Amino acid sequence: MLAIHLLEVENLTKRFGGLTAVNNVSFNIDEGEIVGIIGPNGAGKTTLFNLISGFLKPDSGTIKFKGENIIGLAPHKIVNKGIARTFQVVRPFRHLPVIANVMVALKSPRGNKKIEWIKTIERKAVDMLENVGLTELMLEPAENVGHGDLKRLEMARALATEPDLLMLDEPFGGLNPLETDFLTKSIQRIHLDHPTRGIVIVEHKLYALMKIVNRVIVLHQGEKIAEGKPEEIAKNEKVIEVYMGKAM
Amino acid sequence: MVATYLRRAYSSFAAHVFDIPPRLLVFLVLLLLVALPVAKLDDYVLGILISANLLAIFAASWDLLVGRTGQMSLGHALFFGIGAYSTGLLFENFGFPVWVSVPIAVLVGTSIGFLVCFPCLRVKGPYLVLVTMAFPIILEALFKWAPLNDIFHGELGIRKLPSFFPFLKIQGQVLAEYYFTLTLLFFSSIILYKIANSHTGIVFVSILDDDVSSRASGINITKYKLMAFAISGLFASLAGCITAHTLKVANPPMLSLSWSFIPVIVTFLGGIGTIYGPLLGAYIYFILDRYVLTILVDIPYELVYTKLMVFTLIVVILILKWPRGLARFTTDKLQDLEEARDIDERGPKIWKTYTKKKKK
Repeated sequence: MLAIHLLEVENLTKRFGGLTAVNNVSFNIDEGEIVGIIGPNGAGKTTLFNLISGFLKPDSGTIKFKGENIIGLAPHKIVNKGIARTFQVVRPFRHLPVIANVMVALKSPRGNKKIEWIKTIERKAVDMLENVGLTELMLEPAENVGHGDLKRLEMARALATEPDLLMLDEPFGGLNPLETDFLTKSIQRIHLDHPTRGIVIVEHKLYALMKIVNRVIVLHQGEKIAEGKPEEIAKNEKVIEVYMGKAM
Repeated sequence: MVATYLRRAYSSFAAHVFDIPPRLLVFLVLLLLVALPVAKLDDYVLGILISANLLAIFAASWDLLVGRTGQMSLGHALFFGIGAYSTGLLFENFGFPVWVSVPIAVLVGTSIGFLVCFPCLRVKGPYLVLVTMAFPIILEALFKWAPLNDIFHGELGIRKLPSFFPFLKIQGQVLAEYYFTLTLLFFSSIILYKIANSHTGIVFVSILDDDVSSRASGINITKYKLMAFAISGLFASLAGCITAHTLKVANPPMLSLSWSFIPVIVTFLGGIGTIYGPLLGAYIYFILDRYVLTILVDIPYELVYTKLMVFTLIVVILILKWPRGLARFTTDKLQDLEEARDIDERGPKIWKTYTKKKKK
């Protein structure tokens, strides 16, 4: 029997005018996997995220989530199917307090369904903030909260819908080593809490990424050039060439 | 001993009442408004207050849509005008009594507004402003159109609408209308305030802040925008219906561009996004507009538009001074006082314990 992957991406292509941002990319993500997507600037990582989360429509190719085609669905419907994402540049609701930021996600159909009958939205939101260690800043308006905390807030908001696939777009971007370490631990804990949840991480900081992922996909100029275990990728000549330039 | 008991009673009272300045403020303002007619105001001033009450409902509904949901609408007179014209047409053509035609007109106003809002859902920012502005202009032109004069009576509008309290004498009618509109204002502003501060209200603010993020959080923003338009339209058309019956006329100025701008001015004056701000703004507007600029300064009728200009100028200057609006300025000041009082109370105590310890 053929096992159904959590997410199947096949021959995905997206062009912006003459530029091919994502070119014929295929990969699968299974339940319980942590997959890193790396690549230099302009490799098409964020475009790939936007395609999967429904903010952009691909020119060709298929995206299947749990065996079901999700191309053409509105972003909020995809979230309610169980794919949640964060943004590379933090996008909090600036006028709202931190706890209300999470409550917005809990008001979505999927987030609301996952609340146990005895809990209120507020209680559940506090639980979500506890996961990422933000309870102290709970009532602070998001505009007064620092960048590192906002990164974690983004993650709490994505987790509030209890997704089956969590997609993190540069979660370590702009964080200091201490915050990076904390976030790494949070991600590992999230993974342990829900072992069947798939996590995709797009990242530049290879050092932090390589410690937590099971598998790495390397993109370069919209194409997938390598895929494999972190140790293999670190030794892959093509990847080194892309990142460091050609040997003289 | 009595003194300590009194002090304790006062501090518990202060903790329950002063800690929430808006609640105390609402109570005092309401008391003032209820007691106002006791001062034997003449019908003209009562009329101004009735209009202020209705404008307050209208502006508060605009505030829910724009201040909370971020759907910049500059055509809010659409709901107002449809409400007024529906009740007028229902009375004139079918002879409906007031108490029947008003609820129907509110429903008609809400649902027509609801339908008209569908094109508004697809656009954002300046384009949304243009789309919302277009509808009342089109409708105003339609109501003034000569071939339709038999139905809408052109510039004159639908006149001789019945009063809410036909069984009372004129003096009693105005007073009854005042209390009726005040009750309506009280309940509709409480409903709007509760909605704005509910979980749904949080989702509204999330759309204002970042609609991409709301969608990424699984929120169907179309649904919530429609909800905001419908709730806002309901209260705006309610204000329109009641205005038509208090002024006894439903005419094209109720759909005009300047009537769309007045809730904007009023809301910015009071403090956008507060819901209670526009209420204060509406009262200040009518006192300035009808009382100061008409009775005291006596601007001739031909210069009626200068009045709006002068008023806008005043608002601009006030906003430069208090960018968060007058209502927020007041509550902030009260909160500061509250904090200062806390420090005063705590300060000496800490000082005392400190000195005691030192003595030991």
